Amino acid sequence: MVKKGRLKTVSNRSMRYYYLLALLPFLFLVVMYELLPLIMLIIDSFQLDKDPSVAFTLDNYIKIFSTLSYKTAILNSLKITFISTAVGIVIAFLGARAAHNSRGKFRNVFLTVLNMTSNFAGVPLAFAYMIILGNAGVIKQIANMYGIGFLQNFDLYTSTGLTIMYIYFQIPLSTLLLIPSFNGIRKEWSEANMLLGGTNAQFWGHVGIPMLLPSIFSTISVLFANALCAYATAYALLMNNFSLLPVNISASFVGDIKTKPKLGAALSVVMMLILCIVILINNYITKKTAKWESR
Amino acid sequence: MAKGSKVSANIVMTIVIIWLLIPLAATIVYSLFEDWTGIIPKGFTLANYELIFSDSSFLTAMYQTVLICIVPIVITIILVLLALFVVTVYFPRLEKYMQILCMIPYTIQGVILSVSILVLYAKNGSILSDRMVMLIGAYCIIILPHIYNGIRNGMRAINMNMLLEAAEMLGDSKLKAFFKVIVPNIITGITVSSLLAVSLLFGDYVIIRNLSSTNVNNMQKFLYQAMKRSSTEASAVFVVIMLITCAITAIVLSLQSRSGAEKVSKQGE
Repeated sequence: MVKKGRLKTVSNRSMRYYYLLALLPFLFLVVMYELLPLIMLIIDSFQLDKDPSVAFTLDNYIKIFSTLSYKTAILNSLKITFISTAVGIVIAFLGARAAHNSRGKFRNVFLTVLNMTSNFAGVPLAFAYMIILGNAGVIKQIANMYGIGFLQNFDLYTSTGLTIMYIYFQIPLSTLLLIPSFNGIRKEWSEANMLLGGTNAQFWGHVGIPMLLPSIFSTISVLFANALCAYATAYALLMNNFSLLPVNISASFVGDIKTKPKLGAALSVVMMLILCIVILINNYITKKTAKWESR
Repeated sequence: MAKGSKVSANIVMTIVIIWLLIPLAATIVYSLFEDWTGIIPKGFTLANYELIFSDSSFLTAMYQTVLICIVPIVITIILVLLALFVVTVYFPRLEKYMQILCMIPYTIQGVILSVSILVLYAKNGSILSDRMVMLIGAYCIIILPHIYNGIRNGMRAINMNMLLEAAEMLGDSKLKAFFKVIVPNIITGITVSSLLAVSLLFGDYVIIRNLSSTNVNNMQKFLYQAMKRSSTEASAVFVVIMLITCAITAIVLSLQSRSGAEKVSKQGE
């Protein structure tokens, strides 16, 4: 009897390692299409397009930070990303608070619209904006008829136009991400605040927003990544005529002109680094603010 | 005060709804009329839709979109299910590493993923350099975080080890029990996450642009080309894309609310 039992555990244990085989397909996929491409990209970024014999050089990075056009791409990307993230998070806060304060049918309509538009980005978004605000856009023509100055002079094909579109696709995403966190704010707290003579603004300044800070910062991370890496919206509107990091990266690998894959690799690494730094800072703040919450 | 905050809440929601719906609604109206230069559009027509639905290249693009959405999702679901089974049942210590591997795509995103796969395999010469293989590989990675989260959360919600032990006592092997007992229990989570993956892949433009050859089109690529030809034709393509996206979202929401309601009623028991 005892022997049998032992045999069974031995076979079970070898069976256990047998099961590792079931992990192989997953590992194959991840290594071949995630890790290997990433590692090779980083190695490539330290090599030269002109001279493949150089094994390690920082020339690509030096070039990126000393050439005006690449610096412009980085700055443009950062500018549009920061503005759209900042505006997006403010509107998301107001929208999520409104959804939190209301009940019933209208709230459901609001949530449905948010869900419906949360996948509205990229080429379709750029197209829809061209239809309404492009050179012959519908709103443009109505503005011309009635002489509404600021709309008449509005030019969609600029960084302002692009920023407006980025803000558009940030709103549904960020609002949907923030709404659940408002459930953590109890009615009793605002009632207590009112009984103690506090105003609405005091309540949100001292209680509401500090409570929500962890979710606000994790939402900011998502928004930042979302805007920094967005390609299709900008490309569909302005093609390669506007300098942005993702557009430049793509153009240095796939293009009508001569491609520069090693330099593109370095640009990709710069973009990943920016993203990682922002995510790390946000995670740090999230942790700090979450500590405050549990105290 | 409560009344005031309710009014201001409604104002905020109304403004956001209008802001979000204007581009959508305007493009839909634009696709349905011949001429829209004044305030009121003139000449209702379905000609734009007749045009695209009689265009064989549009139908091919639709068909290819479906194909290149479904194949990566099926592959990823099977691989993640197998891997999560082995890891959670036999090697719980590996779980952390699997999670990291599945979350990396969040920070790579489409542009970098597509170009890195392109330089690595384009000149390879083997099957790996086939454009379709590269595209499917990239799509599998881009949806990996969503599929992983969906399956992982589903597994957390049920008592997996207990169910597996029970099935084993009744004479099934663990692997068989996993697919016969666990998978049917988390099928809603898998469906929801694969639908989210569908909407993600459906909206992809950058990966397919960088990786696929010119004869492979998805709806986004088709829209981009149609935009260059004629804005009225493109507006009909746009409406079709939005309708499909909304249909997917509606299914996801109804599945989520149904599983949410189930949970509540179970707790009530």
